[in-house]
Amino acid sequence: MIALNRRLFIGTLTATLTAPMVIARTRPRVVIIGGGAGGATIARYLAKDSKGALDVVLVEPTRTYYTCFFSNLFLGGFREYKSLGHGYGTLAAEYGVNVVHDFATGVDRDAKAVTLASGVVMPYDRLVLSPGIDFVEGSVPGWSLAAQNAMPHAYKGGSQTQLLKAQLAAMPEGGTFAMVAPPNPYRCPPGPYERISMVAHYLKSHNPTAKILILDPKEGYSKQALFEEGWDRHYPGMITRIGPDMGGNMLKVRPDAMEVVVDGEVEKVDVCNVIPAQRAGNIASLADVTEGGWAPVQADSMLSKTDTNIYVLGDATNQADMPKSAFSANSQAKVAANHIRGALTGSKVFPARYSNTCWSLIAPDDGVKVGASYAPTPEKIASVQGFISQRGEDDALRKATYEESLGWYAGITADMFGA
Amino acid sequence: MGRGARFLLSVLAALPGGAAAQPLGDAEYGEYLSAECTTCHQRDGSFDGIPSITRWPTKEFTAAMLAYRAKQRPHPVMQMVAARLSDEEIAALAAYYATIEN
Ligand SMILES: Cc1cc2nc3c(=O)[nH]c(=O)nc-3n(C[C@H](O)[C@H](O)[C@H](O)COP(=O)(O)OP(=O)(O)OC[C@H]3O[C@@H](n4cnc5c(N)ncnc54)[C@H](O)[C@@H]3O)c2cc1C
Repeated sequence: MIALNRRLFIGTLTATLTAPMVIARTRPRVVIIGGGAGGATIARYLAKDSKGALDVVLVEPTRTYYTCFFSNLFLGGFREYKSLGHGYGTLAAEYGVNVVHDFATGVDRDAKAVTLASGVVMPYDRLVLSPGIDFVEGSVPGWSLAAQNAMPHAYKGGSQTQLLKAQLAAMPEGGTFAMVAPPNPYRCPPGPYERISMVAHYLKSHNPTAKILILDPKEGYSKQALFEEGWDRHYPGMITRIGPDMGGNMLKVRPDAMEVVVDGEVEKVDVCNVIPAQRAGNIASLADVTEGGWAPVQADSMLSKTDTNIYVLGDATNQADMPKSAFSANSQAKVAANHIRGALTGSKVFPARYSNTCWSLIAPDDGVKVGASYAPTPEKIASVQGFISQRGEDDALRKATYEESLGWYAGITADMFGA
Repeated sequence: MGRGARFLLSVLAALPGGAAAQPLGDAEYGEYLSAECTTCHQRDGSFDGIPSITRWPTKEFTAAMLAYRAKQRPHPVMQMVAARLSDEEIAALAAYYATIEN
């Protein structure tokens, strides 16, 4: 501690005497790319727990982060759009995080510096990448980002969610809502199916003769038995799912004509929610820390397997048994924060432990959940113990589960952005 | 007396006295462990659908966690969280939460 203080003091002194530019670097600097579930959490924990010993820089292009989590509830009419938005003011004002609204365009691992879209070059001692996902080009033939207005993905937060909601509301009476579901792995395994539930709930009261068509390349999916039971109960006859056995994996879309071609058969649809295949946010590829689209990490620290100065969090990682969720990203951020502080300030490093729970809403007051705890093994982040809601649970339990999810949303957003 | 209550009493009997009298668990470790709690239980004690655990007395905190660990108290998330907490870890968490400041 004393040695550190002396170094700090001498550093400041030399800096003052020679180049003023160096003053900013007397404290070790952690640059975080992406202010979402992983990035905002680690910024807050690093700043809070290092008590000023670290220079924490958070690079995030948006002023307001709109959560993907609970965006399905907005589609269903259970949530106001603005309730999904969170700003970075508290992180800056109360925690001293240097929030830079910019976009990282490159990482020079040898020079340990990040290049931002504005042209600024930002050196780091440790770099944290939590950029979320990007889509795999060409994974849904006929679809590209250029077509995302005709066929929205709504799988990144914000304007896309609003667009899908507007299209849902504008659907003609008795029309068809189609979803092209993604192949594994993708963010939020139950997310597409919770979305179907919320769309069905909306249509049931606004457009009850409308139909929902799911085109799915996967054999099965998360909480399937629970969703199917719920759909039969609340939305009988409304939802049809075409799995790979029926050609759900052999499709293309024609955004100009609002058509989906399934195994050669043309379906005319009114809304088409295309959720393409996913990969780590592109900056992870530019930093060259990915393998097969995702970034492999050390299970006990979230350190990249290819660079000991770079940590990767959340959806962008290859997380072995953990699902890609905000809960997981938040949990991983705390492990990495503890590890980074240990490396840069000499604070105690405690063993890694991770957890996750994903709640889904099927209908009003009909909530379900799935979760597990995880621990590092030499090979991977491995599942320790898990649980899942059961079919046929009584209404009181389902309601309690839903109410708990509201508490979780309030909790995790406070944990990310500060209360 | 039900099995659960008997279990609780025996657990409580095995614990050293009141919060003030006993050596507290390692609060720094407790703070680290508490990060698992704060994803759902807000540190400032706000209640939005998940109960507050902030400034919960040590004895009650410990009893609750032991009951979850023994699967005497129902709640799948809490049973899962408690399952891998050792006695020292529960003590560390209890110490941290009892003394938490805003
Ligand atoms: C419909 C839906 C429902 C969901 N429901 C749940 C749920 O109920 N529970 C749950 O736990 N999870 C849920 N999720 C998943 C959750 O949203 C993600 O897993 C989580 O956001 C991942 O966190 P992250 O930090 O990896 O990425 P994100 O939260 O996506 O954050 C990434 C951030 O990085 C920024 N960024 C990207 N590239 C750059 C760059 N080059 N420079 C600077 N900044 C950059 C982006 O602007 C973004 O803000 C849901 C997702 C969807 C789509």
